[in-house]
Amino acid sequence: MNKIYQLAVPKGRRICCEVCEAPAERVCAACTVTYYCDVAHQQADWNSIHEKICQLLIPLRTTMPFYNSEEERQHGLQQLQQRQKHLIEFCYTVAQKYIFEGRYKDAVPAALHSLRFRMNVYGLSSVELVPAYLLLAEASIGLDQIVQAEEYLSQAQWAVLKSTDCSYATHSLLHRNLGLLFMVKENYEEARYHLANDIYFASCAYGTEDIRTSGGYFHLANIFFDLMKFDLADTLYTKVCEIWDKYLNNHYQVLSEARVQQIDLLGKRFETDTGLDEAQEAEAIRILTSILNIRESTCSGAPQKIVFVLRILVMLYYLMMNSSKAQEYATRVSNIAQEKQLSAQEQNLIEQLLHIINTEVILP
Amino acid sequence: MTTLPPLPMSRPKLTALAREKLPCSPRTTPRSELIKEKDDIDRYLEVKIKGLSKEEVAAYRNTYKKNICVDMLRDGYHKSFTELFTLMEKWEALREAARVRSVFWLQKPLEEQPDKLDHFYYYLTRAEVAERKKYFEDVYDNLYALACYFNNSEDKWVRNHFYKRCFEIAELIKIDGGKKEAEAHGHMGLLFEEEGKLLEAAEHYEAFHQLTQGRKWRDETGRSLNLLSCESLLRTYRLLSDKMLENKDYTQAIRILIKASEIAKEANDKKMEGEASYYLGLAHLAAGEHDTALEDLSTYSEISTELEDDLSLGRAYEAIARVLQSQGEMVEAITYLKKFVKLARNNFQKLDVVKASTMLGDIYNEK
Repeated sequence: MNKIYQLAVPKGRRICCEVCEAPAERVCAACTVTYYCDVAHQQADWNSIHEKICQLLIPLRTTMPFYNSEEERQHGLQQLQQRQKHLIEFCYTVAQKYIFEGRYKDAVPAALHSLRFRMNVYGLSSVELVPAYLLLAEASIGLDQIVQAEEYLSQAQWAVLKSTDCSYATHSLLHRNLGLLFMVKENYEEARYHLANDIYFASCAYGTEDIRTSGGYFHLANIFFDLMKFDLADTLYTKVCEIWDKYLNNHYQVLSEARVQQIDLLGKRFETDTGLDEAQEAEAIRILTSILNIRESTCSGAPQKIVFVLRILVMLYYLMMNSSKAQEYATRVSNIAQEKQLSAQEQNLIEQLLHIINTEVILP
Repeated sequence: MTTLPPLPMSRPKLTALAREKLPCSPRTTPRSELIKEKDDIDRYLEVKIKGLSKEEVAAYRNTYKKNICVDMLRDGYHKSFTELFTLMEKWEALREAARVRSVFWLQKPLEEQPDKLDHFYYYLTRAEVAERKKYFEDVYDNLYALACYFNNSEDKWVRNHFYKRCFEIAELIKIDGGKKEAEAHGHMGLLFEEEGKLLEAAEHYEAFHQLTQGRKWRDETGRSLNLLSCESLLRTYRLLSDKMLENKDYTQAIRILIKASEIAKEANDKKMEGEASYYLGLAHLAAGEHDTALEDLSTYSEISTELEDDLSLGRAYEAIARVLQSQGEMVEAITYLKKFVKLARNNFQKLDVVKASTMLGDIYNEK
């Protein structure tokens, strides 16, 4: 935690804060290449990302050693590029994780790092910058800094607009974030437009019945719910539920088939998993629990819908190996089923589900 | 193809904007007409100079297809969107397949056919609204309208898709006593018949027939549905029996044709009844049961005389002559053939005259 004096710095060299790019007054003692304007920023950066990448920054920010041959120079440059690319990915995943955990403040410096390295490697107007911008925007929305978020999103939109070969997936992500922004601003007209675009692009990229498309439907449903168009929202929520139900059931089928085929060969039990990454799992839980809450508050007349959501949640937790949660939801399902006297078919489905879970609990 | 009246559409914002830039849409009013007075100048400036709103930009930048999809989604018509999207994917796949098969024939991509997309938008969204309110008849009507719109040789598979959807919906409609269901069965029968799956077609036509029995329903052109069902059913039965006769499966073929003639009797349509007994007679002949064949054919000739239908009478005489010929009763066969020649000559049916004369010649030759 050394202090530095701007006046003592050689002429023509500006030293900026890592977080806010103001004139710096402090330097990180560990790497001596990272500067800050005050303790607060240093603390924030350290907690977010600097602790993990402190030493990795040194080769990037000191001048290259003197190489004797052209070959060596090229090699050195290439290595530098590789290091930067690695840092880009690393910072991005760290920031993403923070966002899913709801720690928006911590996510900002990490995402900023990712953005800065991206600018270094790909140039200022590349599509590669878009994911970082989107993360920053998401974090800003989480921190209630709407103006900031809008700025980042405009940057992202501009980058996408200028590029000719931008993938559908990126388009979809951009529009989803724009939609979320306008939802926060309560400009539902625009939000609906962007979410519709999101669903369209996601459908182009993955198909209409993919779990990655379901997010757009869910947000759209929320808008209609806020606009008091309950029947519309209801059909959209049902759609989201159906998508997840189909995905989880298919996945379970595949898993159990693989298990039946291979159990003789290896004689060991398979791990169950959802086939999703961390982010998607977090999204699934968030979406399904909020649908459950909405269903419970509005659909007291139609227990089938509540039971349907609960069944999906049980399956999800079961595949995520979270048996206590699965059990909890399963008891809720069977309670409702007994209370409301559902049809034989529904009862049957629920019993099957309970059977699956219980065998899993006994086995380990 | 039935020509439908242009749609009384109120287009949503995005589509309306996109529509204006299409090459086929009428041009906006030229400058000289716009600027006449001061107010007009202001309006002109507003229209031309103001710059574009975000939505206008979107409408210009994106394809018409995308604009339609986005318009559907922003109003929450997600089922319509899913349906349209899958149809478009299939459309592209078929187009691709056609492109691979031949270099010359290219179906236009859907983006360049805004009228079709408009129809999709209009009817699908209305069907979805009706479905949400559980007005299944409206759903059926809208889907059926789409099926009619795509009733041309190129887009037959689209029509078939909507026939299937209609059928699914029609099963849910109970109020009208099954009229829609009967119609849907009829369409499904037609669909299978065109695909050559006669057994499935017969099944649907049978259901169609059963549902329309004793009802006075008429379709849009005023034809009785019951009669229509009988016609289609008889046609299918005949095709089925033809196939069986080819495979020498006589008993089955005869059983089906007996069923057909019973249906024809019930339908109270003399012509149909005659036809049915004609084909039954031919089947009996093929099976070698000459007496029954003669009975059937004489019924046919009686009916034809009653209807004063010389052509069918001629056919009846010819068939009777053939039966007699294979029975070995040449004298009677010759009398019938002579009657046939006379009839054919009176009606200037040269081909029939040739046919009859050849048969006569054959018989004399054998003597």
